[in-house]
Amino acid sequence: MNNTNRGLNRTLIMVVGLVLLAAGALVLALSFVPAFGERWSDTAPQVSSSVSGVLVDTPLGDTGSSWLWIGVIVVLLVVAALLVAFIARQGRGHTRRLLTQPSTDNGSTVVESAVAEQLMTQSLADRPELVSSHVSTYRVRGASVLKISVTCRRGVSPTDVTTIINQRLRALDGLVGTEVPALIQISGGFRARTTKSTRLS
Amino acid sequence: MSETTPKYPYARIVRRETHSPRSTLAIVLAVLVILAVAWLITEIVLSLLGHPPLLSAPAQLAAGITELPTFATDLMIAVGSVLALAGIILVVAAVTAGRRARHSLVGERSAVVVDNAVIASALARHAARAGAVDPDSTRVTVGHRRATVEITPTSGFAVDTAAVEAAVTTQLESFGLRPLLAPRVIVHTHGKVGA
Repeated sequence: MNNTNRGLNRTLIMVVGLVLLAAGALVLALSFVPAFGERWSDTAPQVSSSVSGVLVDTPLGDTGSSWLWIGVIVVLLVVAALLVAFIARQGRGHTRRLLTQPSTDNGSTVVESAVAEQLMTQSLADRPELVSSHVSTYRVRGASVLKISVTCRRGVSPTDVTTIINQRLRALDGLVGTEVPALIQISGGFRARTTKSTRLS
Repeated sequence: MSETTPKYPYARIVRRETHSPRSTLAIVLAVLVILAVAWLITEIVLSLLGHPPLLSAPAQLAAGITELPTFATDLMIAVGSVLALAGIILVVAAVTAGRRARHSLVGERSAVVVDNAVIASALARHAARAGAVDPDSTRVTVGHRRATVEITPTSGFAVDTAAVEAAVTTQLESFGLRPLLAPRVIVHTHGKVGA
């Protein structure tokens, strides 16, 4: 329901996975393929010295260090900032607006999500089948969608729960004057029965 | 506003509710990468200022990578295997569907997503009633495409397997689950005394 970018999640996992896999494969290749180890021993010092050469050629004033280090730090900071933004971007998608009717000569109508959420929660509160219910509103593809999460008691049929909630939803439709899209999420099922079983001995 | 159900993004919602977003894993990885990056930045700054490194200065790191082939083979194999294995696990996690233990119901007014535990518990109640056993003597396992009902009868009382099967099948049909669940009823040959 939320608008977490799942593709991005998977891309990050994939990239980190491939980097680890490549590093692991490299280390394994170095220990199992002697020829590769020799090539590495030949080439790595050259690469290392040419990098040091570049660092010496790019001095930062008279500090004896290279300004390239500053560039590296900036790049690393950008990476860290992007990742922080990535974490902060998870979830989201709640909306406080349920409906906005186009304005007419008499003004415009806005229905807040809280109306639908409280009406639904209250209308479900007295149902013995349900242990608890929670209603929230999300924006999905430009439409406000109600998410009705209910926890039901042990043995309650999901069809019965759906029927009850759909009935209440239709009542809500009547109140707000339009059909509000909704997702019903049913969980629970193992929480204690209404009365404790008695053992006769 | 007069169109009916299909205009809503129900298919997308149901797909997202029945599959894992992989958020936890992605956030954990992001935090680890941020920590690694922060450590690298610290080391670079310390070496620029001429202070002693926390763990290893950039120059020492580079030297270490250059000298990789000289390290002990056992250590290399251990480290390499762990890295490669972690990489494979992550790649698999990135590619696989990450199905949650949930089913969706066919509903005309709304999209419905049900935990498998709820389906199992409802099936257990109906199976217990049809088989005339205590609900605690039934065990139901709901997978992605199969629902297995196991009944431990009370010693000395026969369980009407056909009735249980009929009840379970009727219930499953009435739920209208997607994907469909194939029922399987097992009545244990050894009963339980006094249940």
